[in-house]
Amino acid sequence: MITTRGLTKRFGQIVAVDHLDLDVREGDIYGFLGANGSGKTTTVRMLLGLVLATSGEISVLGQAMPASARAVLPEVGALVEGPAAYRNLSGRVNLALFDAMGPERDPSTRDKRIEEVLEKVGLAAVDKRPVRAYSLGMRQRLGLAGALLRRPRLLVLDEPTNGLDPQGIREIRALLLQLHAAGTTIFLSSHLLAEVEQLCTRVGVLDQGRLVIQEELATLQQPTGRTLVRTPDVQLARGLLDGQVEHHDDASLLVRVTDVAALNSRLVTRGVRVEELSPERRALEDIVLAATQPTSDQLTGR
Amino acid sequence: MALALLIGVPIGIRVLPRGDVTITASALLDRIEGSRDLSYSGYIETLGTLQLPVADNFTDVGELFGERTRIRAWWRDADEWRVDKLLATGETDIFRDASGTTLWDYEKSRLTRTVDADIRLPRASDLLPPELAHRLLADVDRADLSRLPTERIAGRDAPGLRLSPGASQSSVDHVDVWADPDTGLAVRVEVFAKGAETAALTTRFMSLSLEKPSLSTTSFSIAPGAEVEYDEVIDIAAAANLYAPLKPPNVLAGLSRSSSSRKLRAVGVYGAGVTQLIAIPLGDRAAAPLREKLRLTPGAQALVAGDFLQVGPLNVLLTRFRWIDSGWLITGTVTRATLLRAGRQLDGEIVYLGSRDPP
Amino acid sequence: MIAVELHKLVRSRRTWITVALLNALPTLVAVLLAVTDLGPRPGTGPAFLSAVLADGKLFPLAAIAIVLPLFLPVAVAVVASEAIAGEAQEGTLRYVLTRPVGRTRLLVAKLVSIVAFVVIAVLVVAVSAYVVGTLLLGDQQGVASTSVSGTALSTEELAWRTGLSLAYATLSMLGVAAIALFLSTVAESPLAAALGTIAALIASTLLLTLEAATSLHPYLPTRYWLSFVDLFRDPILWRNVGRGTALQAAYVVVFLGAAWANFTTKDITD
Repeated sequence: MITTRGLTKRFGQIVAVDHLDLDVREGDIYGFLGANGSGKTTTVRMLLGLVLATSGEISVLGQAMPASARAVLPEVGALVEGPAAYRNLSGRVNLALFDAMGPERDPSTRDKRIEEVLEKVGLAAVDKRPVRAYSLGMRQRLGLAGALLRRPRLLVLDEPTNGLDPQGIREIRALLLQLHAAGTTIFLSSHLLAEVEQLCTRVGVLDQGRLVIQEELATLQQPTGRTLVRTPDVQLARGLLDGQVEHHDDASLLVRVTDVAALNSRLVTRGVRVEELSPERRALEDIVLAATQPTSDQLTGR
Repeated sequence: MALALLIGVPIGIRVLPRGDVTITASALLDRIEGSRDLSYSGYIETLGTLQLPVADNFTDVGELFGERTRIRAWWRDADEWRVDKLLATGETDIFRDASGTTLWDYEKSRLTRTVDADIRLPRASDLLPPELAHRLLADVDRADLSRLPTERIAGRDAPGLRLSPGASQSSVDHVDVWADPDTGLAVRVEVFAKGAETAALTTRFMSLSLEKPSLSTTSFSIAPGAEVEYDEVIDIAAAANLYAPLKPPNVLAGLSRSSSSRKLRAVGVYGAGVTQLIAIPLGDRAAAPLREKLRLTPGAQALVAGDFLQVGPLNVLLTRFRWIDSGWLITGTVTRATLLRAGRQLDGEIVYLGSRDPP
Repeated sequence: MIAVELHKLVRSRRTWITVALLNALPTLVAVLLAVTDLGPRPGTGPAFLSAVLADGKLFPLAAIAIVLPLFLPVAVAVVASEAIAGEAQEGTLRYVLTRPVGRTRLLVAKLVSIVAFVVIAVLVVAVSAYVVGTLLLGDQQGVASTSVSGTALSTEELAWRTGLSLAYATLSMLGVAAIALFLSTVAESPLAAALGTIAALIASTLLLTLEAATSLHPYLPTRYWLSFVDLFRDPILWRNVGRGTALQAAYVVVFLGAAWANFTTKDITD
């Protein structure tokens, strides 16, 4: 759905994006992670033809960007760096105006589609107030509605849950999963590890303009070959598993064992009370921190 | 690039076709003199750089000689023409036909019919290049003429003629005239004062047609409801000529009274061409405000002979009779010495006419 | 896109407030003229203002002459400066472009919408001036109006010459619109673009009064603005009206071209 080859963007002396080779496949929920200033937003803008690349190729939905923007973008819904709307007009009028722009207009279904997306993003009850009077969360929902209006095959979303309360975040997450289930590919740019971890199937990590990780989330989170045991009988368990315990504290142990079921029966038969038993997986946070340089929030001129 | 084209093309068009016309100065003068009966119409721009002291009675003259003026002219012949002085917010028009002259002022919404006075102040129609050329080239000594390169004026290649007057009494350094070589119609005239780098007065056609304009254009059709005034005296010079009780001498400062002005009563016009002098006797009501303005003008000198001012090639002297404000207004394109001599002479030989009361 | 821009223009409250403000000065002038019966001295004041005392039918022209030198161009500069810089500042530009609306198409739509604004403004000023003029200053029914050259103008002739003048006034604003549109693609904020445009107009007006700048005069955008007076001379003097039209066309070509060259290669980062 999205591939880039050697995508590079320089702003004067500063290299914002450095030889990026993105690969987003059909059916992915692709989490695009990176700290502020890592080049995430610039990349998203290049994918959409807003910022023109210094060098490299971009292909979206199989066609070159920005050359084929007129054919590609009608099938892409985008939310870039926060929502925006004409402040003195109502949400519905805004959606109608944006829908009337550009090619492949379909005025006959416009009203129906607007009601549909407003329903989806939870703004069905919105009245004729101008957008100026909306809360940040409502504007975010309206922006999302705008992205969904054309029933896109690909959604490019930059920080879509920004400004939403926990309930709103859950609703949006559910909506994205539902869209994904219906066949929409989602490219989600975020700095929230938890959000990406909960939603995404594939992850790309950007650090100082370079793509340092691009992998299936499941592959990244393979079991480490160790099992976490939580028990009040720490000393008893240690004696039992001598030599296999890598780490322990007052309430838990980390055991170099892959067969969790066998470990469980062994502990229980010896009278160790087991509260929890789980194979250890690497946390996304650890993976990202390990791959990126600690100074990524600072501007680096190269 | 586009900007360069935008500016370059018009300049290029102006400069490009300038094939020089071979004609001698004398032959060109003959052509110009032979062009008096031509009909034409066109758009003329004049530029005067003379800052004259402008009392109310002379406002129009001050504008003509001190500002940029846009003129439209339709000239059938000397007795049937129309000259419009265009203003940003209106226009003042002169319509001339066999029965007389009609003046129209849009902003004052005033329409005036006048008889043709024997003498009057300069007005827009006097600045048409053909008219000015005929006036300045009158009685010219052919030895004073030389050729100037051909210039592109109003879409025509016009050969130029320079008159550098030998007469030592003139304050004019030279007059340049460009004329259409085929018809002799003067298309541009420039007057330079002695010692000046830029022209004191320039008048040129910006567009010109030699077709005879229609009578319907040159004749004034009075809008229904318009009020018409009839005026016998069109300006201060005409008034002075009619009512002043003084008679000018036949020879002033060595210049003789021009033949055409001998029928004038109280106003004297002396010399010809670029060496001309006019003497107008002014009563105190006309002289007092003018004298006040004159004295306030930078460069004005209070001399024994009167108040003197030099503006470009134009010298102005307002004499003062011994105990009242009235005096002679003497002005022309003559040197200061000539003007002062004229002032002394007029002061010494006052000849009274039988008085004639205003009607 | 053009339809969308026109829709936005008509729905915007600012459009109508601006048009209303444009109307305020001519209306005030009409009231003052009607109350005092004092016209400007000849050679001073806007064109036609001395004539409207006798003929209220000419007031639309006087009203245009009142707003044309300053108020109308300032309004056009403000509206046109909003075009790109305003959308960029509000953040809507990125959503418009990803719809996708082609950048060239967007520029053209913006220009059309600005021209529509000028047409609306000029028409509203003219119509309200006609109403105010004939009500307050008297309508000499049946009496022909007078041209600048003193000839009679039939009502029909007055109507089409007035129409032509309004069209010319609209046309005169195209140069301002193009300059403002160009600056709008360059400047970060619409305010900066508007101020830049107004500065250019003030410079042009100032240079016109300077004899030393005579050779520049035919290229200054404000040079032929008031030449619509020439349409009321008899016969009509087309010279400056023609030059004014060509000059405005040249400004549109140059500045729209510059705007296009800049905007189509620009990184949209706001």
